[in-house]
Amino acid sequence: MKFAIAVFSPAHAPSSRRALRFAEAVLAGGHEIARLFFYQDGVHSASANIVAPQDELDVAAQWRAFVSDHRLDAVVCIAAALRRGVLDDTEANRYQRPAVNLPMPWELSGLGQLHEAAQLADRLVCFGGD
Amino acid sequence: MTTLHVIAHSPFGDERLASCLRLLGPQDALLLCGDATYALQAGTEPFAALQAANLGERLFALAEDLQARALDSQLAKVVDYPAFVELTLHHDKVNSWL
Amino acid sequence: MAKSLLIISRQAPWSGPSAREALDIALAGGAFDLPLGMLFLDDGVFQLAAAQQPDAVQQKNLAANLQALPMFGVEELFACGHSLARRGLDNDALSLPVEVLDNAALTALIARFDQVVTL
Repeated sequence: MKFAIAVFSPAHAPSSRRALRFAEAVLAGGHEIARLFFYQDGVHSASANIVAPQDELDVAAQWRAFVSDHRLDAVVCIAAALRRGVLDDTEANRYQRPAVNLPMPWELSGLGQLHEAAQLADRLVCFGGD
Repeated sequence: MTTLHVIAHSPFGDERLASCLRLLGPQDALLLCGDATYALQAGTEPFAALQAANLGERLFALAEDLQARALDSQLAKVVDYPAFVELTLHHDKVNSWL
Repeated sequence: MAKSLLIISRQAPWSGPSAREALDIALAGGAFDLPLGMLFLDDGVFQLAAAQQPDAVQQKNLAANLQALPMFGVEELFACGHSLARRGLDNDALSLPVEVLDNAALTALIARFDQVVTL
């Protein structure tokens, strides 16, 4: 079966880690992830500038590795990301901001990508909360 | 069509659980994860609300969250992540109360 | 056939970007001509209160964007009667033409849609 997974919480929220463990279980169960979509505060889960203390779980780094390792389609909502200062190289240049925190493997794009994923997938599963 | 409702907020001082129980259909299921599992603390108002809802086999809780919080599960069926994935497929859709 | 999506908006209008971002999901889906519905639940019904003046807290007027929903093809608009009553809002004095539903009708509504997002 095909899943669309949407993440609405930052990397430090328990639900971001929960979404990641769920996504891993989806693949381990022989299913497919049509797309990961990061919206609202979920855009922070994609930030490359998070520095986790050494003895704490680095969920943002785990997301990055998960997306890269499985070559997943991982979209960060551009409007939500700009509002929260999560920028790729293009946007940082466009708005003349000093830092880029969204390098590969993420793609900045619009909410249409969430709708497209929901149409493609058998299940849309959203994660947020504590 | 059946819905798996998912809640991840503490029921103390939050309206999600109450609203969800109000709207839950007769075939719908509820999965508690994260701080929502505190609803399984016996002797509390949320616990009483869950008991009154009488969900039977349609109430679930994520195993790791019960374990982390030293909660036991008299009411809910305990699921791990693979079972969570299966649950989403056993229902027509998933409604997460973000 | 395209899958239908019900967006349940349950955040008050001026408590951060959540209400606007729920609305943005609806507007984006409407632009793709997808079958969409929107339900205002819990504090979300405060978005429907008439004569709000968000410029007092330097916010854009959400009501203007809500009014645009039918133009974007989002014509199925609902509000939870229980939430309205509990918050002292008059069903007949709302800023948007919504259908007010009781609990049983809400259960049926959620059952009818292919997918649901609650935020």
